[in-house]
Amino acid sequence: MIQVQQLHKEFEKTKVLNDVHFHVRKGSIYGLLGSNGAGKTTLLRTVAGILKQSRGEVSVLEENVFENESIKQRMVFLPDTLYFLPHYTVRQMADFYKEIYENWNEERFQKLNELFGLDVNKKIQQFSKGMQRQVAFWLSMSVMPDVLVLDEPFDGLDAVMRKKIRNLIVQDVADREMTVLISSHNLREVEDLCDFIGILHKGEILLERDLDDLKADIHKIQVAFKGDMNAALESELNILHKEHRGSIQLLIVRGEEEQVTSLIQSHQPLVFDRLPLTLEEIFIYEMGGVGYAIENILV
Amino acid sequence: MFELDLRSRKPIYEQLVEKLKQLIIHDVLKADEKLPSVRELAQQLTINPNTIQKAYRELESQGYIYSVKGRGSFVHPVEKDANEEEMKKVREELKKLFSEAIYLGMTAEEIHALLYEVERGKEDDSSTATS
Repeated sequence: MIQVQQLHKEFEKTKVLNDVHFHVRKGSIYGLLGSNGAGKTTLLRTVAGILKQSRGEVSVLEENVFENESIKQRMVFLPDTLYFLPHYTVRQMADFYKEIYENWNEERFQKLNELFGLDVNKKIQQFSKGMQRQVAFWLSMSVMPDVLVLDEPFDGLDAVMRKKIRNLIVQDVADREMTVLISSHNLREVEDLCDFIGILHKGEILLERDLDDLKADIHKIQVAFKGDMNAALESELNILHKEHRGSIQLLIVRGEEEQVTSLIQSHQPLVFDRLPLTLEEIFIYEMGGVGYAIENILV
Repeated sequence: MFELDLRSRKPIYEQLVEKLKQLIIHDVLKADEKLPSVRELAQQLTINPNTIQKAYRELESQGYIYSVKGRGSFVHPVEKDANEEEMKKVREELKKLFSEAIYLGMTAEEIHALLYEVERGKEDDSSTATS
């Protein structure tokens, strides 16, 4: 659906994206994560066909995206800073969209009006920041896009609106197999929404995986033994991180759940607790393992 | 139908599998009953449809449900000994818990009493799942 290969992007002499590969399947909700300045926005703008790549391939719906109008008909990009034509009301803006997008769905637009409850005859610029974002979603979802690219979509929205918008996205993914690419540095936001995660750091993709798989093979373990931990056990486990808290040890272990559990059980622990990790924690430890300090990833 | 704990550390997909299993085991979802469609559930719970699909696939491979093309997923009528694989897992889990209980000083009588209680339906875990 979205395929990016060996993508390089330079502005003047500044390298922003360096050999980026990634792939978003049809009907998937893909979370692109990364630190500030990692190149997320540049990557999204390239995928949206606004920026031309310096080298490499960017295809959406199996076609090269740059200046490809037929693809752009079926794709909506919602940038982090929104733009509306000056002094336009919601209705005028909607008419503008209607003219541009063949798939504009007026019925949908009216229905969403009830959901958002905003005045269509008010100038958009008189709305608050969060309301403007609602307008942007309202317009985007009325276009019935096959591909939705969102840059920091939930900024400035209250909890109720966030949930409403997530619900909208989820419905379209279920109904029409819409493909969604979301960039965010809010890990908790993407954790329950996305099924696939890619991490961008300093213009390179560090990791790209199914979120459940990622979670399935890394565990936080609290364990205590009579005396010290067996050295044999320690070498058998793939330990990413170790911490002593009194006599209890906190381990971050990579590996299959069953294997790890049976291995530890076989050494008769006095205390044994296994906790799945949150995405935030996975980040910290995985990145720590590659030598990236936590401050670089979490913002 | 049920709620998920989005703040829990457990992956949503695992939570889904467990909740649905519980509903099936406790006969809240009857044999051959149709499960909610992926779409309905995604909307109800505001979670990724792909996650639900994955949970359904997992339940299917474990033999709890079956799917009919174009019609959806249905609860598989449980045959008592068909779930050998699951039984093995449960047995292992029980063993683990028993050894923990014994270590903590629980007597065999106390464990018996607990079992009796569960059989009589006094400690009813399903009440939370069905509400």
